[in-house]
Amino acid sequence: MSFLHIHNVHKRFGDTHVLKGIDIAIEKGDFLVLVGPSGCGKSTLLNMIAGLDAISEGELLLNGERINDVHPSRRDIAMVFQSYALYPSMTVAGNIGFGLEMRKVAKARRREAIQRAAELLQIENLLDRKPAQLSGGQRQRVAMGRALVREPQLFLFDEPLSNLDAKLRVDMRTEIKQLHQRLGTTIVYVTHDQIEAMTLATRIAVMRGGELQQLGTPQAVYDDPNNLFVAGFMGSPSMNLVTARITRHEGRLVARIAAPAGDVTLPIVRDRAALEAWCDRDVMLGLRPEAITDPASANREDGDIHEATLEIALVEPTGADLYVVTQLGGRSINARMRPGAPLSPGQSTRFAFDVSRMVAFDPETEARIRDEVPATPDEASTGHADSTGNADSTGNILGQNA
Amino acid sequence: MSTPPSLRGGARERLQHWLPRLVLSPSFVLVLFFVYGFILWTTYISFSNSGMLPDYTWAGTRQWSRLWSSWTWGIALHNIWVFGLLYIVTCTALGLLLAILLDQRIRAEGALRTIYLYPMALSFIVTGTAWQWFLNPGLGLERTMHSLGWESFSFNWLIDANMAIYTVVIAAVWQATGFIMAMFLAGLRGIDGEMIKAAQIDGAPTWKIYGRIIIPQLRPVFLSAIVVLAHLAIKSFDLIVAMTGGGPGNATAVPATFMYSYAFSRNEMGIAAASAVFMLAVIAALIIPYLYSELRESRS
Repeated sequence: MSFLHIHNVHKRFGDTHVLKGIDIAIEKGDFLVLVGPSGCGKSTLLNMIAGLDAISEGELLLNGERINDVHPSRRDIAMVFQSYALYPSMTVAGNIGFGLEMRKVAKARRREAIQRAAELLQIENLLDRKPAQLSGGQRQRVAMGRALVREPQLFLFDEPLSNLDAKLRVDMRTEIKQLHQRLGTTIVYVTHDQIEAMTLATRIAVMRGGELQQLGTPQAVYDDPNNLFVAGFMGSPSMNLVTARITRHEGRLVARIAAPAGDVTLPIVRDRAALEAWCDRDVMLGLRPEAITDPASANREDGDIHEATLEIALVEPTGADLYVVTQLGGRSINARMRPGAPLSPGQSTRFAFDVSRMVAFDPETEARIRDEVPATPDEASTGHADSTGNADSTGNILGQNA
Repeated sequence: MSTPPSLRGGARERLQHWLPRLVLSPSFVLVLFFVYGFILWTTYISFSNSGMLPDYTWAGTRQWSRLWSSWTWGIALHNIWVFGLLYIVTCTALGLLLAILLDQRIRAEGALRTIYLYPMALSFIVTGTAWQWFLNPGLGLERTMHSLGWESFSFNWLIDANMAIYTVVIAAVWQATGFIMAMFLAGLRGIDGEMIKAAQIDGAPTWKIYGRIIIPQLRPVFLSAIVVLAHLAIKSFDLIVAMTGGGPGNATAVPATFMYSYAFSRNEMGIAAASAVFMLAVIAALIIPYLYSELRESRS
């Protein structure tokens, strides 16, 4: 029995179908991040878990108990809002303690709990101030204190960092992660920032247009995307996607990609069985920038490296990396090279492709072309075992080709 | 066309510099003379021997002591106190209640809001006359009830010296409540919806969400509403003239009707001037700190 089970949940506002049957299950201690572009329904789903929006269809189970019609205050949840939603007429202590006060917790115990939460978040010296006297980061801490103090079963975060400046956002992100590790709480977190999702989550649910695109560990979602949308949405710089033709070359299945100075041919090593059916047809190939490198920094131990010579169109140094742009399959693609490599635009150089990390998509349906995954009957992730069980299969394929 | 550009530019600059002053100066002079000039003149008259006509001989505080020993002035002050307090408290409470009810995302909110706001569009004379007919025992409510068969029904506050002031309160509240409601509604709409959601999750019942979180945030609206209502109350004249004419007897006399009757029917211009200056002082004591705080806020 999973801890939080969202079972075939729908949401309709009049004629608009906002959520179209969402199935997610997480365990106690999980950090689930709902990520997707704005309007994908992630905040609506969070509000439904909180009980602030009614569920049109489907079931919501917390700890095995159906909570569809339970009032928000009786669900044993706490929520941190994007605007912080602090009560301006109360002090910080009043804000943090309000939930306990409403639950008729005795004053002495309340003060103790407030003190403990304040210590945890390092805001003890702010307890007597009003929210208007606090900075953005301090307000964020108070909002978290208000959630922590009640020690609920489930924490909900609705884009809590989007009102902070870039530097503070990274700091608070680290702190939320530390808090999760230290307290072992179960968290559902909404964001549109895929980096936030990758760094924080133990489970990511990628959503688009009211539908769940993929549910899995951050690594699985990153390395083994279910479809073109997930591949393009997760990762920065995003995955390179080029059109390629699957053909047979000297008895091997290969992908042929058009390039200005002659086609590039890359052997198919991953999802080979499924791609057999695509022989002599076009597919969409995806390769992460870090899977295209200079030959010297290629990972030859785990990967399956194939080289090709291409002309450099643009060089973008970021300090830590050197991104090199080249033309392939009629598109600009990004390769991540060793910083300080003596490369300049117009020059031709060797590119090393790690074909073990290459993924292919159906250009029409945008669905992933992949081998049948040996189904691991995982009761916990009902409904989406197909997408969650993939973390291991990636490793298998890499192993075969090493 | 033959003027050099620099000279032409200079002339235009000078015109731009003087034009606003030129346009504003007539109204400035008129306001200075008719408003502030007559305030000074009235203040002087209150220290003079004036009776039916202005008399500029200095009389010191004679008119002021006559004013404060006048029995009618005592009634007027008592009435304005009762009227003002009831008017402000009832309007604020009812306005807030209506605003909260309208804020529950009900249907036809726009139509309801307009209905409540319409009385404010009427002049006090119309309100006063309409309510006078409605409450007149021989014409309005009481007569209707009798003709419908409820013979024992009696509502004669309008002609009861002890109750007449309350009929004025009813009419005034009817007129201003919608406006105060609109002010509160605007305030309620400015409150962050997430805060209410947070309070729901915190387990606060609706009445506590209003009492502890929303209403404390409406403090600036309360201040504005009270200042608007207070100066309307002190200035109230036309409503009382139209409804009761200050009667029965002097039962509904207020400082404004007192001033009018002393100036124009009792030929006691000096006392009337003193009462006018007193009203001005009270209103100034209310408005000046308010304006000061408002202006300081907008500047910072």
